[in-house]
Amino acid sequence: MNKKKIIVVLLILGMLGGVVGYKMYNKPHVNVNDTKADFSVNANAFLNEFSTDETKANTKYLEKIVSVKGIISSIKVENNKGIISLKTDDDFGSIQCHLSDEATKSINNLKEGQNITVKGICTGYLMDVILVKSEIIN
Amino acid sequence: MKPIITLICCLFIITISNSQERYLTKNGAVNFFSKAPMEDITADNNQVLSIIDATTGKMAISILMKSFLFEKALMQEHFNENYVESDKYPKATFKGSILNFDAINSTKSKAKVKGNLTIHGVTKEYLIEGNFTRTDDAILVDGEFTVNLDDFGIKIPAVVAKNIAKNIKVSFKFNHTPFKK
Repeated sequence: MNKKKIIVVLLILGMLGGVVGYKMYNKPHVNVNDTKADFSVNANAFLNEFSTDETKANTKYLEKIVSVKGIISSIKVENNKGIISLKTDDDFGSIQCHLSDEATKSINNLKEGQNITVKGICTGYLMDVILVKSEIIN
Repeated sequence: MKPIITLICCLFIITISNSQERYLTKNGAVNFFSKAPMEDITADNNQVLSIIDATTGKMAISILMKSFLFEKALMQEHFNENYVESDKYPKATFKGSILNFDAINSTKSKAKVKGNLTIHGVTKEYLIEGNFTRTDDAILVDGEFTVNLDDFGIKIPAVVAKNIAKNIKVSFKFNHTPFKK
């Protein structure tokens, strides 16, 4: 009787462990659309923070969801992925927003010079500050 | 050490930016593929910055580690936190020269690039072969090579040794266009 109970308990624990393990292994990516932005900034200030102190900006923004407001300076599609750049005062740097597959579908509604807010995950700074998995807010 | 590397990179980029003929891409693609007994893992990065100075044949590439996107969120987390330590080493870089750059023309041909690859804070010299095509308005480069994780001090715990290969296949594709301000 007692042995049986122990076996049943162990089985249940094992199954729970299996389910938890499987869930963890298949943990979904962050859904940018459904998550509130960690920071809301404007394109110029955002680039400035990176160009003045990259290390500090990295600590603050990397892997965070950032909503960036700015003016579209270019729109293109490469390998079926939409990329829009937001204008800044800097000659070389801009904010490069790599759009999600969903957002790429509606890229034709966008125009250069348009005011826009983009929400995406910040991955760092090369010549430009880069956002991936971006969604268009308005 | 890191500020020095950054400074050198900046200087390098500035030097290139000042010369007349430079080609660059901000959307270069780098993919890596790990084939292990337990699973195959692949990750894509489409935000690679690559610059070629067409007067000297020098090439500079910068890669953000956090821009590598994986199929599973957990793999991406482990990659960034445990293996390449992206918080400490946010970028991988390659700086080198294209050998026989002048021989490259509008017909696709093979050429070698010799230079230093830095990943995870460790720099190693590489000789990488790629396919090059040069026209007036573009320099196309693609190819692949192998990176050994031990070379760059990236440790894989014994528990997942069957899930992650020691030698990672890296493939790249850059479509450089003339740089206009």
